[in-house]
Amino acid sequence: MDLSPREVVPTAPGRKRKRPWLAMGVLAAVLIGGGVLVFQFLTNAIDYYCNVDEIGVKDGCDVGRTIRIQGVVEKGSVSEAGSGRTEFVIGYHGATMPVVVGSQPTGLFQECIPVVVAGKVVEDGGTRVFEGTEVIVKHDNNYDAENADRVDQANQEAAACSQKD
Amino acid sequence: MTTDTRSERRPTSTTFTRWLGAAVLAGLAWLALFGLVLSPNDRVQKTGVRILYIHVPTAWLAYLAFIVTGVCSVGYLWKRSRNLQWDRVAGASAEVGVVFMGITLVTGMLWGKISWGTYWTWDSRLTTTAFLFVTYIGYLAVRDLGGTHHQRARRSAVLALLAVLEVPLVHFSVKWWRPLHQQESVAEGKLNGLMMFTLFVGLVAFTLLYVWLVLHRQRAMAMDDMVADQGLDAALAERREEAVR
Repeated sequence: MDLSPREVVPTAPGRKRKRPWLAMGVLAAVLIGGGVLVFQFLTNAIDYYCNVDEIGVKDGCDVGRTIRIQGVVEKGSVSEAGSGRTEFVIGYHGATMPVVVGSQPTGLFQECIPVVVAGKVVEDGGTRVFEGTEVIVKHDNNYDAENADRVDQANQEAAACSQKD
Repeated sequence: MTTDTRSERRPTSTTFTRWLGAAVLAGLAWLALFGLVLSPNDRVQKTGVRILYIHVPTAWLAYLAFIVTGVCSVGYLWKRSRNLQWDRVAGASAEVGVVFMGITLVTGMLWGKISWGTYWTWDSRLTTTAFLFVTYIGYLAVRDLGGTHHQRARRSAVLALLAVLEVPLVHFSVKWWRPLHQQESVAEGKLNGLMMFTLFVGLVAFTLLYVWLVLHRQRAMAMDDMVADQGLDAALAERREEAVR
């Protein structure tokens, strides 16, 4: 009987034992990414914004604190304030807030459209102004065909936009 | 000779999937016609509204895909027989769901830039959707961690049952919290007639695409398992032969 140690040869030539390094790496990235998302959800996403009428009233919507506010851009209120700044007024449930941002808002920004502005409320001689850093348009869930016949209807809606929620 | 060649090739297609593939192409062409030509511009969003016809169907199909993954995971765990076919359909559906969810996120970001003025913001719908996407990438990574087919099937089935709970969280996030993302449009009848029809065309086209992809992918997975089993059988036979010598 031959008891000499046998030569070790791979049982399946050319096939190495598969190490799931890639899967483990992806899993680690997923855990880190998931953690970031949960953090962002808890700190930013639940109360994404304060409504204009909640400023200084609702907890977390305090003057001087960095927040986002939501309201409808008042008709005729948009103007350029020089140095690339834009001024407008937003309203919600009868309350209004003058807003100043350091850039020209993009997207569908226009009068009578709901917007969310990031920044903070500052008091200037008893007048509250929202100094914004970013303007995001908040489009509603209505989809209507573009149609010239609806110009009158659009004008009526624009005239009534200040009363919009 | 011909039979041998055919059995070695083992294509994942059948007559049914070939017809289904043709239907997918027809459906996507139909969607392109309605989505790009026949449907009207939106009063506010103008032509940007056309992203809707990809964004919404892919989101819904991703939800469906993840629910199918959950149901098939129950199917695997429920029966004592532990049929791996349930597991393979679950895995294939999750893969397709991740692709569709990725398309939803990318189209949503493009749409966000056009209408909101930003690609991304941390609102509840966007954040939970990204979390769902990341969770199912994790599910696919867990499937690939190694072990036997049944070990893979068991651990991924348990994870799928937990992950599917996120689907209602994403769907109702616009109702439960205060988001930038718009509320539901379809259920509340807020879409113009032709826009709604075009969305329906998109839903049909992407549903056919989902079924076609899952059928092919689960067959490819079955072949992967078969190859792995054959490799193991060959290795065992080799060792037995060695022992006899």
